[in-house]
Amino acid sequence: MAKLKISNKRRKAVIGVAFVSPWIVGFLIFTLYPMLYSLFLSFHQVKITPVGVKTKYVGFDNFNYAFFSDPVFVEKLLNYLMEMVLNVPVIIVFSLIIALLINQKIKFRGMFRTIFFLPVIITSGPVINELLSQGASSIPNIEQYGMFTLIESSLSPILAEPILYLFKQIIMVLWFSGVQILIFLAGLQKVDRSMYEAARIDGASPWESFWKVTLPVLMPLVIVNVIYTIVYVSTFALNEIILLIKNNMFSTITGFGYATAIAWIYFIIIMLMLALWTGVLRMKKR
Amino acid sequence: MSYQGTKVNPSKFHTSQLKFYAVLIPLAFFMMLPIVFIISHAFKPIDELFAFPPRFLVQQPTFDNFRDLFVTTSTSGIPFSRFIFNSLLVTVSVMFLSVFISALAAYAMAKMKFKLRKAMFEINTLALMFVPIAVQIPRYLVVDQTGLLDTYFAHILPLLAMPIGLFLLKQFIDQVPEELKEAAIMDGASEFTVFRKVIVPVIKPALATVAILAFQAVWNNIETSNYYVNDESLKTLSFFMSSVASGSGNTIAGQGMSAAASLLMFVPNLVIFILLQSKVMNTMAHSGLK
Repeated sequence: MAKLKISNKRRKAVIGVAFVSPWIVGFLIFTLYPMLYSLFLSFHQVKITPVGVKTKYVGFDNFNYAFFSDPVFVEKLLNYLMEMVLNVPVIIVFSLIIALLINQKIKFRGMFRTIFFLPVIITSGPVINELLSQGASSIPNIEQYGMFTLIESSLSPILAEPILYLFKQIIMVLWFSGVQILIFLAGLQKVDRSMYEAARIDGASPWESFWKVTLPVLMPLVIVNVIYTIVYVSTFALNEIILLIKNNMFSTITGFGYATAIAWIYFIIIMLMLALWTGVLRMKKR
Repeated sequence: MSYQGTKVNPSKFHTSQLKFYAVLIPLAFFMMLPIVFIISHAFKPIDELFAFPPRFLVQQPTFDNFRDLFVTTSTSGIPFSRFIFNSLLVTVSVMFLSVFISALAAYAMAKMKFKLRKAMFEINTLALMFVPIAVQIPRYLVVDQTGLLDTYFAHILPLLAMPIGLFLLKQFIDQVPEELKEAAIMDGASEFTVFRKVIVPVIKPALATVAILAFQAVWNNIETSNYYVNDESLKTLSFFMSSVASGSGNTIAGQGMSAAASLLMFVPNLVIFILLQSKVMNTMAHSGLK
């Protein structure tokens, strides 16, 4: 009997591996190996010649250069960090609110859902490129309507600064929240309706039942969305650091070795960012 | 969502909706702007394209940009239909294969037990975060060494492993209750049957989302044509469109053509989106994800 059980277990494992194997092969060849190879290159000076790639070991030179000699890298990295700290919660809260709104029983619900899912095709295409180059991602007119000076004069600078920043970023935030809204919407439909009724009978207001019923169910999805948002914003092709990496790739002074070194620093920072955010959220959950 | 359903009085029900519209309509308007812009931009005559400050809407629409584009494309050596064929072939293969491969792997990682499955998923999540362009040269070397240069496979294979697809699909399959699978297994279904008959119908919204993302990644991709394919007749439509616009030598006419080309390239995006998103939204309510 015991023997049969083991072999059964093994058989299941074999099927499991069979299911993942096409993915593993593709992943190893076209993603993992190139990633590791780029790590190798980041410790080298790389020259691309018609005969092939020539490498010369330089130790941590590339990394030192990034932090101590590169005129723009550190500044752009700090900008990026500030952007992430401000934008991630805004995108998450915004997409949660939109998901709650379009989950209501209202007319044209289907149409609204389609419209708010639109960013998926806007931000990942040539469209965004065109839009950004035309400066359409900020609202130029609010600055002229005196709203900015109003906010600046009526609030303390500590409060005014982030609010102004958010106004400038609002369109970008809207455009980055398509998939997140969808994920929340799927989660909201999972919430058992009888739980709301029970909460209502116990005298909970909609506000309370949001915090006590809806949010706990959505919590795992908040983490999924945080990961998705960080990844999406960080690896977005027109992100400043990505552009910097791209510029260095074929630069005659720094070259591909240096570009991969920045890419790895950036990669590690994104990982830390992610660990930080998910850590905070998991702590809250307890 | 259940509150409105429990209210009896229909007139009160109606006014309670107004506050939602007050928020949703202005935001929806913002969301539509990019699309309005891309359409309007393609019809702008030269002087409006270069107007400063840039105007959002076209004032005197013209078909000149499309005509220029058409003239330029018809004078190139390789028939235009060839590029369309290449793009269709590559896009369709990547969409189906990558969704299928990611879904299979996601199912195994979410619902089957074998060694290293946790580790695999973690590695995938890490790979998500890696800057895609930093692997371009190593990837080129792989494509070169495996002899895929100048074949259709160079367009298809590098795009198949889609970390984001696996990530999203696994999250959705995790939510599918274990009992659904158990019940099917009890009835004598094999793992593959469970996958095909139970999991796939339930996660259709997620599959449609990943299919949209995959379509975006392939259809707009110019890197594979740029780096892995030297043979002009094997390049894709998106590459051809971008080279027509930038390589025509005349940058002023190029701007107009590029605006027209981006509209033409965008239309399939919109069509695929509209076709698939109805699946995304409709099936979600009945998906059994409870």
